[in-house]
Amino acid sequence: MSKSRGYAGQILEVNLSNRDSKRNELATKFCREYLGGIGFNAKLISDEVPAGIDALSPENILVFGVGTMVGSIFPTASRTEVSAKSPLTGLFGTSNSGMFFGTQLKNAGFDALVIKGRAEKPVYLFIEDGELSVQDASRLWGKDSWETLDILRKQYPAAEVALIGPAGENLVRFACIENGYYDAWARTGLGAVMGSKNLKAIVVRGTQGITPHSVEGLLKVTGKARQLIESSPFFKPFKSYGSMNAAMPYGSFKALNANNFSQGCLPDWKEDFARPKVEELTHGHIACQSCIIACAHWVEIKAGKYQGLRMKDMEVTPTVSFGSGCGMSLEATVKAAEMGQRYGMDMASVAGVMAMAIELFNRGIISQEDVGYDLSFGDDDAILRLMDDIARRQGLGAVLAEGTMRAAQQFAGGEASAMHVKGLEIPMIDPRGRWSTWSLGILTNIRGGDHLRCRNPIENLRFNENKHDFQKERFGYDRKMYESLDMPDELKAQAIDLENDTVDIAIMSRWAEDLINLFNSVGVCIRPPVEHRIGPTILAEAYTAFTGIKISPIELMQSAERAWNLIKLFNLREGELPEDSKFPRRFYEEAVGGKNLDEAKVQEVLQQYYQVRGWDMLTGQPGEEKLRELGLSNLS
Amino acid sequence: MNKMLVIDYHKCVGCKTCEMICSLVHEGVCAPNLSRIRIAKDERAGWNVPISCAMCEKPMCVTVCPVGAMFRNRETGLVTVDEKRCIGCRQCVQACPFGHANFNPLKGLAFKCDQCDGDPQCAKFCWTGAISFEAIELSLNQRRLETAEKITRGQTPSY
Repeated sequence: MSKSRGYAGQILEVNLSNRDSKRNELATKFCREYLGGIGFNAKLISDEVPAGIDALSPENILVFGVGTMVGSIFPTASRTEVSAKSPLTGLFGTSNSGMFFGTQLKNAGFDALVIKGRAEKPVYLFIEDGELSVQDASRLWGKDSWETLDILRKQYPAAEVALIGPAGENLVRFACIENGYYDAWARTGLGAVMGSKNLKAIVVRGTQGITPHSVEGLLKVTGKARQLIESSPFFKPFKSYGSMNAAMPYGSFKALNANNFSQGCLPDWKEDFARPKVEELTHGHIACQSCIIACAHWVEIKAGKYQGLRMKDMEVTPTVSFGSGCGMSLEATVKAAEMGQRYGMDMASVAGVMAMAIELFNRGIISQEDVGYDLSFGDDDAILRLMDDIARRQGLGAVLAEGTMRAAQQFAGGEASAMHVKGLEIPMIDPRGRWSTWSLGILTNIRGGDHLRCRNPIENLRFNENKHDFQKERFGYDRKMYESLDMPDELKAQAIDLENDTVDIAIMSRWAEDLINLFNSVGVCIRPPVEHRIGPTILAEAYTAFTGIKISPIELMQSAERAWNLIKLFNLREGELPEDSKFPRRFYEEAVGGKNLDEAKVQEVLQQYYQVRGWDMLTGQPGEEKLRELGLSNLS
Repeated sequence: MNKMLVIDYHKCVGCKTCEMICSLVHEGVCAPNLSRIRIAKDERAGWNVPISCAMCEKPMCVTVCPVGAMFRNRETGLVTVDEKRCIGCRQCVQACPFGHANFNPLKGLAFKCDQCDGDPQCAKFCWTGAISFEAIELSLNQRRLETAEKITRGQTPSY
């Protein structure tokens, strides 16, 4: 049993080039300042990845940071963040996933796993109760991730496995790391980093257990957190329909990506494709470690072309990206998800790059000769075939495997169809249809264009108007909701104007990003029922009960903010320019549902956001004062 | 009526909260490995099944125990380990046909479900209804009603 409380107590570092490994003890100061998960990753990568390296070279470092509360009974504490320099964006690449990998890694004795170098031949790692071995993976190389898992699970029963499929081996720039059969650290191409290291899989099994500082304290705070989450208005809908819930209101606001963001929402999506399809195709729910929501569905296709397909699926981001973004039938999105998992590709990115290719085909910029077959939105067979070509880097697939940003540069006029921010494909939300804290987050996200690192915890899905231009979104709740929001009073008063019933987007964005970064540090899920109710106060209580390290809610938020700033500094060091924080031209120039974005006004909110963050208003460079406040002044 | 841990695996979502609470209340540790209830899962097939002690009428673990450390309390019906007597020979672990009886390497002792002396925490913390602590007759009655409902679905009542 580990001596430290809450934490497993060690970071395991392995260099695949020479097979050296070492174990670094966690220092309490490091824990307080970076907490765990993305915090650990931000610090380790900023310190150790040399500036300007090729993300697919042995110099890149891949870090698995387990959230602090993972391995405990605290509700939804299951999440592990994986980070490296991204081969897709060239910036900080990072992605978060739950299930049971993190719990196993901590039970095996490690809070984080750092992978350096490159193995000469394909290998996999086996980590068990403090021991590490590097094993030959020649027989696994080339196999899809489900075949690989079938073999490894038989050989290592009760183990959890992180692995890559053929897309990762083929260095597809948006390849993901699979987390078991149905989950993944999907975004920003971390699977290609693993592939570049000749690392096929990481098999983890642990029996050591984690000792809480206070069992009584942990149970008390767990009970409180459960009650809070259960009392969220988002709780019941999420239990029933999972993340597909968001497709309903966003569809009716014409704020769903449709046919490469050329329309606000496909006609059949709003009514037919969100809840009704969940009811038709799914049965049973699946949970991550210690979750009390179980938002994931078990899907079974009972008739038609894809009959017999059974898997965990219908998570909103991939389903909308394929179904609405590429116009596929719902049944075909399940097939696409199966292929995405087997090949190990980020479904949001592959759907994004395919949607661009279809549009370029329609615009006559790429031809049947380039592809080998015709492409059109809604042609399930052609889209699945193209997906296959991308994973194998065949024909046009080899170009598209480079990701939307790079592929667009290969075609004259391609940029106009390339829907990405900073090289990361924008998945499901169309900011034109609904402007909010959530959609500004696509622009300010430290990993590039997606909506998953910034969501107003009290977002009100009933409303879709901007009362005051681009700076405010509607609050729309009663005073009770205002009062129960766990946010410092002064900041709350600044962020929410009760009289005019508005939320200040710039102020709320900074809070939401730091809050989500805190969740990704302590390993708690960002699903709305959780983000809505769980704030720094209860997390501080949980953190202290579990680890014994006394920390205040403000310090927790500051640790999360520190990691966010560190990542921003990393991105600036790697060449991010102020003008990269821009939406694709289409969002400013073409309207959906009668709306487009006003570029000047978006820039204005962005500048306000920079100011709120203590960053330079024009360049987004973290300011001296902010860095001093966070103890990062030696880095500017 | 004697209560028992009734498992309805159709309701289990595999969150393993039961494993966490069990190891916490028994060992003061979050250690699925030391839990008295375990989730057996198969992701390809899509099932999660909680496995706990059946409190057998003729317990194999009791039969094989050479020192009488494993015993069945006739009054309560509970099969439990007397830690003072246990010699850590793991015979009970090998004998249990369900993979339930287990061994704690840190203590060198066998362990198994003791139904938390009448208030099983796994049932209390299970939010899905997959694990409940109730009289088997009541639970079976419920299942019979559900079966009857399925059989008669779509039929006009005969009365």
